[in-house]
Formats: sequence, C-alpha cells, structure tokens
Amino acid sequence: MSNNISFKDVFIKGAVIYNPVLIQLVGLCPVVAASTTFARAAMLSVVLCVELIVTCTVASALFKKIPRWVRVLLYLIIGTAIICPLLWYIESFSLINLSLGMKIYIPLIAVNSMTAVHCEQFSVKNSVKLSLYDAAAAGFGASIIILIVGAVRELLANSAIGGMPVNLPITFKGMALPFGCLILLGFMAAGLKAFVARMYPQNSADEEPVVSEVFADENSEVTEVEIFDEFWAEPQPEEVPEVPMSVPEKTSVKPAEPSFSTAEEIDELLKSLGIDIDIKGDKQ
Amino acid sequence: MRILTDLLMTALYTVFAQNLVLSSGLGMSEAIRVSTKPGTFGKFALMISGFSVVTSTLCSLIDSFKPMEAMPYAVRAAIYAGVLAGVYIIVAAVMRLFFGSSAKILGTLGIAALNTLVFTIPHINNSAAYSFAGSIGSGIGAGIAFVLAAALINSGSRKLAENEDIPEIFKGTPAMFFYVAMLSLAFAGFTDSNIFG
Repeated sequence: MSNNISFKDVFIKGAVIYNPVLIQLVGLCPVVAASTTFARAAMLSVVLCVELIVTCTVASALFKKIPRWVRVLLYLIIGTAIICPLLWYIESFSLINLSLGMKIYIPLIAVNSMTAVHCEQFSVKNSVKLSLYDAAAAGFGASIIILIVGAVRELLANSAIGGMPVNLPITFKGMALPFGCLILLGFMAAGLKAFVARMYPQNSADEEPVVSEVFADENSEVTEVEIFDEFWAEPQPEEVPEVPMSVPEKTSVKPAEPSFSTAEEIDELLKSLGIDIDIKGDKQ
Repeated sequence: MRILTDLLMTALYTVFAQNLVLSSGLGMSEAIRVSTKPGTFGKFALMISGFSVVTSTLCSLIDSFKPMEAMPYAVRAAIYAGVLAGVYIIVAAVMRLFFGSSAKILGTLGIAALNTLVFTIPHINNSAAYSFAGSIGSGIGAGIAFVLAAALINSGSRKLAENEDIPEIFKGTPAMFFYVAMLSLAFAGFTDSNIFG
C-alpha cells in the first residue's frame, strides 16, 4: 500500500494539515527561544531539516526491531553526531559569527521532540522512502513557520529584516521574547486552521481536536498514529504501538467538553484536602 | 551554610525568575503534553529533577578539568549529550533489568530525560558559571519549574476547553498559544525585560 502514496499526499499531510509546530505543537523550543532574527531562523531551519531527514531515514532503515526505550536514545546520538560536527565546522572556520545563545540552542535540536515524534509515529512503521517524504514534509512545514516567525520578530523588534534596516515608526521589543513569538504562533495557527478548513474540509472543522487530545499520552484512551495510519501506514504487528506523543484521533473528539478524564480525580483530591470546589461542574 | 544558600537561591531563581519552560520555551512541547495528565506531575518533577541534577553534576565535574576550558563549544555539547545519554541508558537499563519496568514507564522516562530542558541545564550552568551547589540547585529547580509550567497550562487549558465565547477559529491550538503567551509574559515580568521601546 505504501507504493500508492504520492509525495504530494505525504507533503500536504505532514507540512500543512498536521504542521508540526502549529498543529502538533512539537519542536516549539527552537521556534520560541531561538528564532529571533531571520538569519538565526534560517540556520535553525537548515540544521533541523538535515537532522530530521537523516534521523527519520536511519530510523526507518535500521531501528524497527529495536525497543522504543533504546530508540529514543539513538535519536539523540544520531542528532548529536550530525549537529556537533556541523557546529564545530562553523566555529572552526568562522563561517558564521555564532552567539553563545545559538551555540547552546543548535545542539538542543538533537533532543527535539519533533524528531522523536516523527520517528516513532511514522518512520519505524513505514518504508524508508515514505519516511524520507514524511521527514522532508515535516521539516519543510516547520522551517516555513520558523522563517516567518524569525522575519516578523526581527522586523517588529529590531526594525530590520535579514540585518537590513527597515523604517518602522515604532518597535515592539517584546516580539523578541518568547511571549511575542507565542502570540504570533497563535495567529498563525488560527490562519492555518482557517486555510485547512477551506481547502481540506474533510480534515478540519468540528473534527479538530482540543489541544489536550493532541497530546494525549500513552496512558490515554486515545490511540496514536490513527491519522497517519489510516492514510499511509501498513500495520506492523511486531511493533508495540507506543509513541512518545500522539496525534489526534478523529473519531474520539468532543470539542465542547474538556477531554480530561482526571476531573473526577481532581474533585476527589480536593475533597480529600477539605476544599469544596466542583471541577466537573456537577454541583449546581 | 553557604552551599545550602547557593543551592536554594539557584533553585528558586530557576523556578520563578528564570522559569526555563515559560520564559525560554525549553521543554515547552513536553510541558503542554504532560499538562493533560495532572496525575503524572509528581513523577515528572522527580524524573526531570533527577536527570537534571545527575547530568549537570557530572557535567560540572567534567567542566572543572583544565582541558575543557579550551574546548570548542561543539565538543563540549557533544560531551554533555554523551553524559545525558549515559545517564539515561544506565537508569533505563536498571529499571528494565532489575525492576522489570514496563514499556510505558520507560517511555515516560525517555520523555523526562531526553528533552531540551534537561539537556540545557549543563549549558546554562556552564555559561552562568554556577558553583557546584548552584548546579544541583538549577537541576532541582528545572524539575519544579517544569511542573509549575505544566500545572499552569493544565489549569488554563481546562478553562479554554469549557469556554464557549472563544471564536471557532481560535479554539484549540491557537487559544493554547495565546494562553501560554500570557503565562510567558507574566514570567517575563520577573526578569525586568524590555517589552516596548
């Protein structure tokens, strides 16, 4: 079945409909913390794409039989093996003048949640070719967001784009801080949601999960990788279906209600502490 | 006494003034995810603090060697990654082989150990030139900061899910981004950041 899937299908799903940053909320650290200028965003994007593509491809080719708790370590090792020589090369030959902040943030990409999510949800369950497509799509989708965020933050915080001054009547230094980036991401996520609702209505509208379900974990009743599986993946019986982070399952969504199954637990906890607050909203 | 003061002051600074999750975005994806499971907060705080403390302590010891001073940053980063990988594999192997831990527990362990927050602590300790006690304090603080962030996100996301006044297009992840942005702004206040100007 894998052979029937085109690059376009994988690309639209991986880069747009389930954009890693705006929809899956993975890999937020490099976006929020480090992409304060266009140049930094460009550098992060390149490193992220290279690391993601290589790690996902290797994971698909070699890691399918390895237990998950060992695989997550191998992602770190591969990421470090790619990023540290790259950083050393940049440092040694003074290709780019890296600030200390960038020297810290670039190695962090090795433990980026985006890599773990895509390797676990897709690469170890699919062919090398499809994994390559998926990693390229996710890397592209994330890179576009990082570049836009970097450019807008530099423009509003420093009145410049790519180091070139732009005359703006006011500057908003807060855009260089994480909260400015998060506000921008909020508007971009809403824009993407509207775009997907218009262009791919079968994947959006009231089927969009609440955030908590996007991140339902391995203890949750929400199963993982359904969205990817139903479209691309062949079942792999030898694989234990556990992933570090989950994508939403369309059929289990109840947008009007909080999905936390822990409301009762919190109620009980509060009662045991002698606090009479009704979390569930049963008491009227 | 001075050691204890160093440890506590650094821990408090890491939790409140420099909450690494909300004011730096480190481990933010994991915090949002963990926020949906309040029952796991204690476990995560313990694991993240444990990994941060052990990793940053070992890295501080390695940093104290003379040759490390002249090392390119890339080599230093590779050494830190190696230490983190070593600590994780030892803990995971012990839990697996001696305690028969399930795949679920090991999965949680992987998320707690291999994330940007834990990996950053040795880098921060090095760049801020924290003392040995300070390094331990920042490790403990990282775990508490993570859980504080997850608890705040949990509290807000419940309200967001119940709020019918939010326009349809902003429900879900957009609203979550705005909410986390407000939390981040609140912590930016502790650091005397310049927002306008």
